[in-house]
Amino acid sequence: MIPIVSDLAPLVCGLLLAVTGAGKLFGRRTAQLAANTVLVRVLNDGRRAGLALRAVGAAELAVAAALLAVPGTLLPGVATAVLGAGFTGYLGYARATAPESSCGCSAKAEGPIGVRSFARAGLVLLGGAAAATATDPWWTEAARRPGWSAAFAVAAALLLCAVSADLDHVWLLPLRRLRIRLFGNPLAGAADGPVPVAASVELLEQSVAWQAASPIVRSALLDHWDDEGWRVLRFAGVYEQAARGARPVNVLFALDLGASIDTTSSPAVRVSVIDDDTDEMVPVDLLAGMATRQVLPMAT
Amino acid sequence: MSHRQNDPGRRGLDRRRFLTTAALGGATIVGASALGGLDADAAFAAPMPSLDPAISRSAFAEGRITQIKGSVLEVAGSHGDQHLIQLTNATSIWKLRTTTADQIQVGDGLYARGVDMPDGTIAADAVWVNIVNLYCTVKGIAKDRLHLAHGAQDHAVVGHIVADTTTASYLGGALTSDLSRVRIGQSAQILGAWRPADDAIDIARVTVGH
Amino acid sequence: MACGSTSLWAGETTWFCCGSAWGPCGSAGGGACGTCNSSAHQAAWPNASQSCWNITRPDLCGENMARRGCGSVMNVKHQCSGATVCVTVSDCGPRTQSFCGESTCCNGACRTNRVIDLTPAAFSAIGNLSSGKLPVYIYE
Repeated sequence: MIPIVSDLAPLVCGLLLAVTGAGKLFGRRTAQLAANTVLVRVLNDGRRAGLALRAVGAAELAVAAALLAVPGTLLPGVATAVLGAGFTGYLGYARATAPESSCGCSAKAEGPIGVRSFARAGLVLLGGAAAATATDPWWTEAARRPGWSAAFAVAAALLLCAVSADLDHVWLLPLRRLRIRLFGNPLAGAADGPVPVAASVELLEQSVAWQAASPIVRSALLDHWDDEGWRVLRFAGVYEQAARGARPVNVLFALDLGASIDTTSSPAVRVSVIDDDTDEMVPVDLLAGMATRQVLPMAT
Repeated sequence: MSHRQNDPGRRGLDRRRFLTTAALGGATIVGASALGGLDADAAFAAPMPSLDPAISRSAFAEGRITQIKGSVLEVAGSHGDQHLIQLTNATSIWKLRTTTADQIQVGDGLYARGVDMPDGTIAADAVWVNIVNLYCTVKGIAKDRLHLAHGAQDHAVVGHIVADTTTASYLGGALTSDLSRVRIGQSAQILGAWRPADDAIDIARVTVGH
Repeated sequence: MACGSTSLWAGETTWFCCGSAWGPCGSAGGGACGTCNSSAHQAAWPNASQSCWNITRPDLCGENMARRGCGSVMNVKHQCSGATVCVTVSDCGPRTQSFCGESTCCNGACRTNRVIDLTPAAFSAIGNLSSGKLPVYIYE
């Protein structure tokens, strides 16, 4: 192994494990984080999962201390590699059995297990292997080749930033903003033609027609189609008549295909109620029910 | 209740044509004039309770679908409860968009509103499959997806943009297919359909704040 | 459960999920009160506590609603249909300040700013989840 890599690997791995280990062991949200990991299912208990995550944090801290204090010996490097292999195995298991679970790796910003989680675990494994082959302590190497050592430390820090979501706001977001400024927004602009169906439903649900028909309507949008400049929206409902009891009905609304809440606040809506069994038009005076609503003075 | 969801005669073009004619033959209701003296602020003090007791009597179920037997969905609630959801030709089904029962799969999550039946099932009026409504921050924009973070822990989520379906609303404006005004760093409410296979979301609408 | 008819506030409502749940809602937990549950008639209120207020900051949109802590009961009425649902405050929300000035109307009369969040059970009792938001009156 290249001496600068193997000799400085304990420093990089030590610092990384110290940060993530301390986050897990002392973090106030560790229990909350553990609840979203696959550990809950493995250990069958949320509290035990929290304890397990803290125990892993303690182990990371212990290995970090050994890496930083006694580099150039075999054991801390091997322990780091074992941790890295353990993390990789855990991630593989979690990814296969519960892809929606969190990683629990860094005890901070969490997301589903992805490429970055695996890259981070892989780096710990490789870093451990490199550290195990170190011949000199990192401070000796740093003193011998300060320039190269600084360059290596910077490169390692950049690599760790790239595989960690915690620092995205520092570099990734500004980079993405810059890309959009330079190359434009990749998302589609306004399209010509009819408004989206959701916009018609939105307009309908804010209209008097909807208000008048709401005692009959039971379902959400059941079907929709466009016909000769109209958008027809079909809902299912129940019409209750004292004489005939409850009848299943279709409640149909027809609106202008191009209308939305941006173009009108009081759309013309055609409403009809059709008996679902006989297809007969049911004569309903929708507005009659509304007129009987009593108007009380304003609340003060 | 009869089950006619798959009866082609009732779903075909002729049927739609007939219903269009019926719809256009209905009464036209426009604007506030029809309402007379009922203005919205006065209604604040209008009598309680609901004008529509039917809806407030409605049953609700939540959970993941464990089995589909014909038109009945077996649902395991998140609190260990079990539900049998009966779909009928009058049940609206939402899964990213208004759709039909054949789009529902085992493993999907759902919310259902309906009526309790004597046999213990719920006859569903409306079923929303995999629907989520998340408060997010936009972290990245690509041609076919948004990178989002939601919740107190900034949980990373990928929101896929679906052609002809994804819409946006800018500060209360009408829903539009124009997504180009979404910005990185903005707060956004994401209404969409969760994808159990990869834990991503297909976006139905992005409501953008400041 | 006592559910009053004294007017308290008015504005937009959205919906949110909490408690044991499927999908991305699974990480939401029991909410600020520890009791939040998507399948119960519950709500999130922007002034459930001082620490809650510091997050939601409705005052930045001119909304200075009163403190109503965990367990408070409210009656939420859809401005358009009149449908109502009785809910218990079980979480902190919505983030009013992020959507300042947003309005939802009913027949031309608009309610501005997000002032309450309902669980799916409560929201679907007065509207459709696919609508996302509704104009409401709130009573207690």
